Amino acid sequence: MAVVDKAGPRKDARSFSEILNDERYRSVFYQVIVALAVIWTANYLITNTAENLQARGMSAGFGFLGSTAGFSIAWSIIDYEAGDTYFDVYLVGIANTLIVSFFAIIATTFFGFIVGVMRLSKNFLVSKLASAFVEVMRNVPLLLHILFWFTLSAALPSPRDKENQIALFDSVFLNNRGLYVPAPVPGEGFNIVVIMALIGIAAAYGVSVWAKKRQLDTGQKFPAFWTGVGLIIGLPLVAFVALGSPLSFDYPSLQGFNFQGGADVPRAFCALLFALVLYHTVFMAEAVRAGILSVSHGQTEASYSLGLKPSWTLRLVVIPQAMRAVVPPMISNWMNVVKNSSLAIAIGYPDLVAVFMQTSLNQSGHAIEIVAMVMLFYMTVSLTISAALNYYNKIVQIKER
Amino acid sequence: MKKVSLLALGAGFLASLAFTPEPVLAQESTLEIVKNRGILRCQVGTPAPGFYSLSDDGKWSGFDVENCRAISAAIFGDPDKIEYQSVTSAVRFTAMANGESDVLSRTTTWTLFRDTQLGLDFTTVNFYDGQGFMVSNDLGVSSAMELAGATVCVLTGTTTELNLTDYSRTNSLDMQPVVFEDSNVRDSTFFSGGCDAVTNDKSGLASIRAKAPDQSIFTILPETISKEPLGPVVRQNDSQWNDIVMWSVFAMVNAEELGISSSNIDEIKASSTNPEVKRMLGVEGDLNKGLGLEPEWAYNIIKMVGNYGENYEEYMGAKTVMNIPRPGSVNDLWTRGGLMYSPPFR
Amino acid sequence: MTDATQSDTAFRPKPSLPPPANTVGAVGWLRKNLFGGPVDTILTVVSLYLVYLIVQFAIEYGIINAIWSADTYRECLDINRGEGACWAGIGVWFNSMMYGRYPDEEQWRVNLGGIILLLWLIPFWLPKITGKIQIGMSAVLTFPFLGAALFLGGEFGIFLHVMASVALTLFAAVWLHVATTYVFGRSLAELLVSATGFAGKDDRLHKYVLLGAFGVGFVLSLVYLGSWDLVEIPTTIWGGLFLTLVISGIGIASALPNGILLALGRRSKMPVIRVFCTAFIELFRSVPLITILFMAVTMMPLFLPVELNPPKLAMVIVAVCIFAAAYMAETVRGGLQAVNKGQYEAAQAMGLNFWKMMALIVMPQALKLMIPNIVGSFMGLMKDTTLVSIIGLYDILLMGKAAGQNPNWLGFHTEPLLFTAMFFFVLCFAMSKYSQHLERTIGGGYGRR
Repeated sequence: MAVVDKAGPRKDARSFSEILNDERYRSVFYQVIVALAVIWTANYLITNTAENLQARGMSAGFGFLGSTAGFSIAWSIIDYEAGDTYFDVYLVGIANTLIVSFFAIIATTFFGFIVGVMRLSKNFLVSKLASAFVEVMRNVPLLLHILFWFTLSAALPSPRDKENQIALFDSVFLNNRGLYVPAPVPGEGFNIVVIMALIGIAAAYGVSVWAKKRQLDTGQKFPAFWTGVGLIIGLPLVAFVALGSPLSFDYPSLQGFNFQGGADVPRAFCALLFALVLYHTVFMAEAVRAGILSVSHGQTEASYSLGLKPSWTLRLVVIPQAMRAVVPPMISNWMNVVKNSSLAIAIGYPDLVAVFMQTSLNQSGHAIEIVAMVMLFYMTVSLTISAALNYYNKIVQIKER
Repeated sequence: MKKVSLLALGAGFLASLAFTPEPVLAQESTLEIVKNRGILRCQVGTPAPGFYSLSDDGKWSGFDVENCRAISAAIFGDPDKIEYQSVTSAVRFTAMANGESDVLSRTTTWTLFRDTQLGLDFTTVNFYDGQGFMVSNDLGVSSAMELAGATVCVLTGTTTELNLTDYSRTNSLDMQPVVFEDSNVRDSTFFSGGCDAVTNDKSGLASIRAKAPDQSIFTILPETISKEPLGPVVRQNDSQWNDIVMWSVFAMVNAEELGISSSNIDEIKASSTNPEVKRMLGVEGDLNKGLGLEPEWAYNIIKMVGNYGENYEEYMGAKTVMNIPRPGSVNDLWTRGGLMYSPPFR
Repeated sequence: MTDATQSDTAFRPKPSLPPPANTVGAVGWLRKNLFGGPVDTILTVVSLYLVYLIVQFAIEYGIINAIWSADTYRECLDINRGEGACWAGIGVWFNSMMYGRYPDEEQWRVNLGGIILLLWLIPFWLPKITGKIQIGMSAVLTFPFLGAALFLGGEFGIFLHVMASVALTLFAAVWLHVATTYVFGRSLAELLVSATGFAGKDDRLHKYVLLGAFGVGFVLSLVYLGSWDLVEIPTTIWGGLFLTLVISGIGIASALPNGILLALGRRSKMPVIRVFCTAFIELFRSVPLITILFMAVTMMPLFLPVELNPPKLAMVIVAVCIFAAAYMAETVRGGLQAVNKGQYEAAQAMGLNFWKMMALIVMPQALKLMIPNIVGSFMGLMKDTTLVSIIGLYDILLMGKAAGQNPNWLGFHTEPLLFTAMFFFVLCFAMSKYSQHLERTIGGGYGRR
């Protein structure tokens, strides 16, 4: 019977399993297998690719980046015109992705704090409204948000519809083409104003360092914050007035079919920004709410009993501790904003994926190079942000004894 | 536990392998492959009215779909032995090149680059198209040359986008393209005034207009800014398959020229004394041999799918949403002043 | 009682006055929650106005001006000039948006598959059932094969045949187990062991009984599956919500096991494995899903030999699985880091090997801590599945778009979007509520509120 037999061969098995269970041998063995598997897979893919490219008479390599792209791009923040190269298209795509992500991140962070605090509000209607907002926004795919807001924004007045034009001081216009704002045109001597602003920032930093040192040494406080604000605003303002306002504005105005002049962003940009902000605000708000709840009430009470006034309690006790819980999800939310801006492709905002991975890939057929370049960009952004996050985490980590 | 984990790792991957179809052997001719498989893999695009659209019961129909049906009728004597592959324009050529599709029949413009550098061959033209503009009446524009500075809605990933740029540069019009991935979004944007004009192959402009709540306020401008010869595409280096696809289209054109339609074909086959008709319908001669098909291949096409004119009226004609009148247009027969011309069946 | 009678002079508090009328009842509630002060009042009024605007628009667009029966979109437009919804179109296209182009007469297969999966998971919610982990694992690991065989049909090959038989056997076992638990009050395993007379024998022998029973069931289902004669439905015509659920379902099912392996690999002491796992996770986490999908459809055909040529759905599923695994790995790693180091040391001190330590001590704690995040990733994955429409798979979103290109329904565009949004809202909302429930019931006891 099986029971009897089992005792016999066991001894050998154990000595064999001892070798197998020796961590040194085993780990080397596993690693060699994994390394071989990776190398074999890579080799397999590369061989296939070379064969396939040859069979189809297609060429590989980055040479195509220098050739003319031949299509125009609806909107870009850096100069581009039809006839520029594919590499210029890549740069335009990156710039457009970064600009929309930048504004989305700022707005998301701002509104996220507001909604997060609103959800904790004692006002029944406000907190319920904030909860409903959170639930509706986060349970619908972002792609649907983007399509929906883009479709809805078509209902804005057309630029030629003078009566219903949404305008602010006759200089900022919002219509179904996009948002038009006056463009600043720096005059002569404007760079002096910029230099003064930089000096102001440097001086403000110096003052704050000095003030902190003085407080540590003597216990006396110095209004470093307001001094800094004064320096940063005051210095360039003085220079600006002294030089006779060397800055004019180019106002948008209706000429022909459209508004001309000024600076503009297309409707797709506005819709994408709006959708990104709505969707990601919710995640930001949840992070803020969780962060504030994570600070135990005892901290506040302890701070009061030490005699700190409420505003100091908030600034010196609650927020620093809440931030420890808020910052990591906040930054990964930022990363998601950058990545999700790639959904712009659905509504024709010319971001990196749309102009490079869609249009350029279609026209040039260099799939591998283009996909690799796009991935490289996103990886660079993400890894930079996560490196910053790791650095921050190291600073704020609770120092364990 | 370890085994379970490994199993789990493999689960996703293996599940996908389970769907793997039988391998395509590179040496075999496409005709052999299709015959052995018993089904034609015909690539169409994501639905576009007139050319290929999807009904609510999942059936494909349209002008380009008729090409697929004709090829299927020629090979199998049954117009519906087809697996339709609907892919986005971005991957249409990849899907051809790697053998996923047997033939591509989807508003694809014949250009030198595509014919020579993508491993593909264009067979023939089944529809002559050209790019045009549509504007709203209140713009007060009657020619595309007046569109200086206008914003123009356009679909991405097509030659349309490049033509618009070329036209704008050639005539210094400084048009602003607004690019879309999805034609529904493009059209609703245009209707609400998000663009001054919309540009597309002219065949599609009328169908865009048909989506508007009020159709009377839009005008199609007279200019045609590009040549868009559209037709089926096959893989390079298989001339027999190329011939089958090309002559399937020609059979439909020639049938119209000879006055043969799906309704009168049996009568004509029985009674006709015209030697070309007899050759084409397989009554005499052996024209089918070179194609590797049955003698009735052309008969099957016309009987089951119809001639060119019938299909045109059904999907493109004045009675449809496409509303492209045929008489005297480039898509009429050469005998009536058009460009539709089939080489002789001899 | 006795105290009361002791002395009349003792201190006896008067009954409390009732609270002021404006702090109780409806008025009090309103004052406290809505009109606490000037700021509160303003917020309340503004919020009320917002709610009014939204509700008014929704009722006008969705009900008052909506058209419920029409044959073409033009009919709807002629009546309401586009100022209301054309729900009639949803009725016409409902079937397409659910099943894509899956033939009408074969749709029972999809429904059956869904019902089997639901039945498989029902024991999860039944309180008396033991071995819930095993039930869940069996469903997650083997149902995909049964589903594939059922949905695909045709000659599905020996591998799928065997795996589907395993799945069927396990499914039958799960429900027999439920039946025995409720009828006899004993688990299936106990019952089998005692019925075959092994109850008094060595515990180690019990597994032979179970294996034998499994073998019998397996052979039976192998034969039964062999008798199936289903029409082959190629993946190219799968579509609609069904396709969305297939893709996200496989993604979700594979995410946790793959994510756990990757997370363990990233924390491993073996440098090659650690570097490989870290690179894999960071690569696929840092790029948007849409680029991975583009890669799957434009680059994979170049990477693989022409003869292999897997269908697009398979490549998309692999892409989604990779993406989901990379995300899940970071979530799991977060959970692993949160588990107290003493737990690891205690497990090692008990003499457990690595896998036992992980399976029995560490993972249960780590995963419990991470329930909200895990469900959050699942929801994210489900929502991200809509991106497959951009690369041309006929999921519910693209099927809705296709409806708007039908000559009879030209311009039918907003309603399918709203319908799709509603579906996702219901699915994801249910998931998030369930995760909160889980957090309260099994995630408790870890210092969370």
